[in-house]
Amino acid sequence: MARSMKKRRFSTLDGIVWATGILVYVFLLLPVLVIALSAFSPTPYPTFPPSGFSLHWFGEVFRNEAWTAALMNSIVLLLIVTPLTVLLGTTAAYALARLRFPGRGALQAFMLSPLMIPQVVLGIALLYVFTSLGWSGSLGALVIGHMIIAFPYVVRTVSVSMSNMNPRLELASQSLGAGPAETFYKITLPLIKPGIIAGAVFSAVTSFGEISISLFVSGPSTVTIPVRTFGYIEQTFDPTVNAISFLFIVVSIVALIIIEKTIGLTKVM
Amino acid sequence: MAKSIKRGKASLFQWLMLSPTLVFLLLFLLIPFILLFVLSFREVGDFSQLLPTYSISQYAEVLTTPLYVKTIWMTLWIAFVTTVICLLLAYPAAYLLVRAPSRGLRAFFYIVLISPLLTSVVIRTFAWIVLLAQNGLVNDVLESLHLINEPLQMLWNMNAVVIAYVQVMLPFAVLPIVTSLGDVDGNLRKASMSMGAGRFQTFWKVTFPLTIPGMITGAMLVFSLAAGSYITPLLVGGRLQPFLPLSIYQQMMQVYNLPMAAAMAMILLVLVFIVIGILGGVLKRWEARMHG
Repeated sequence: MARSMKKRRFSTLDGIVWATGILVYVFLLLPVLVIALSAFSPTPYPTFPPSGFSLHWFGEVFRNEAWTAALMNSIVLLLIVTPLTVLLGTTAAYALARLRFPGRGALQAFMLSPLMIPQVVLGIALLYVFTSLGWSGSLGALVIGHMIIAFPYVVRTVSVSMSNMNPRLELASQSLGAGPAETFYKITLPLIKPGIIAGAVFSAVTSFGEISISLFVSGPSTVTIPVRTFGYIEQTFDPTVNAISFLFIVVSIVALIIIEKTIGLTKVM
Repeated sequence: MAKSIKRGKASLFQWLMLSPTLVFLLLFLLIPFILLFVLSFREVGDFSQLLPTYSISQYAEVLTTPLYVKTIWMTLWIAFVTTVICLLLAYPAAYLLVRAPSRGLRAFFYIVLISPLLTSVVIRTFAWIVLLAQNGLVNDVLESLHLINEPLQMLWNMNAVVIAYVQVMLPFAVLPIVTSLGDVDGNLRKASMSMGAGRFQTFWKVTFPLTIPGMITGAMLVFSLAAGSYITPLLVGGRLQPFLPLSIYQQMMQVYNLPMAAAMAMILLVLVFIVIGILGGVLKRWEARMHG
């Protein structure tokens, strides 16, 4: 390592690439970090660096019933959405990796399509259908909307695990007399567990932060944290939202730690 | 014989595993789009109520009204600009990530890259509102450096939208480039250098072409995200910008003209799919050329 570094002269070109690269990372990281840290400022408007340290704005969040109700809604939703999405995404990714049929590629593209379909289009399509069914504003409508958005992430992470796994292990299991279901449960499932966990984390985080669909299909009793934040920012802004931002940062750090511990960050995408 | 029965059993099991997902996607992804498509042809009365008749009048109105045509061009333009900036910034970022001299630094870059993906778009947009506001951080810094005397008006225009978009969507451009850079065989670079090519020439003639598939994949994602989001434009661009997702939002939630919203949505969908289709075609051709 040291030798190759010495041999490779550090050219101006390297300097430019590194400087630009570092600026890009600063640009990515800084905005949200600045916002989250100024949540600890005692002043009634966000300042950076904070002029003091205070938990006042966190108190505001947890004393305010509208915020705590939204937080509860978001957590309940995430707890319903994650297992359902993981179940659908895992079974689908497994079947797609093993089945051979014409149109398989098209089906795969269709499953990943919620990533590509303009969110506003997905939102109004679901709003229209849910309104016709009388489901609009219900928890069920939000569950379905979030599942559609989070589903592709699970399919992707599980597909990665499926392609890393040796299919001969399944064949061995079957030739020893295990049926397909037993083979799946005892052999495949433990081997693709990292992909499933990473998918679950992505699904949970996506659901927790989802806004594009939620804004269309949520109702007064099913306001989630991002929807309430959106409404709040539109009218006013004070450091309450900074405290919420800090909450989101904490959630994403927890998610990063879980991903790193299970599948490893570099293998996720 | 026994083998084929076994294989049949396995494939039956796999179809059973696939079926709940198929039913779910059919009910909540495919059917909503078909219904939206049908809705886009419905006619509306004077009070935006649905009439039982069908025509292409919504499409005709969108495609002939100068304001809407301008909106469509603006939407494509903003998505294009965002994609280009993302790709330009993504390359050095990906390069640093792949070539970071230590594991710790590599992990750090990765965390910085993934964490925005895990933070709600509302929060990231809020960050830009606070930073770019008249009394925001950017203006404060510029003023204390005496670069400006009066706060600049940086919010409520399309530049603010592009800045926020680039930050939100950059990871989608960086990650595929990282993947393809990581796949480049180190021996190819060594071979090129040993044949006398300089580092820049090696990069331009060997490494860069091999990462074009990653760039195209990133471009597809960024373009479709930038053309279809409405939250960020609504919050930092202002409601009056000529931007198709905003027009769709307004037709749906404020004017209550559902067929109009549906027709605009279909036009947006088709435009995005055309662009993605073209990029996909380029990708296929390029890969065919690379791998013979």
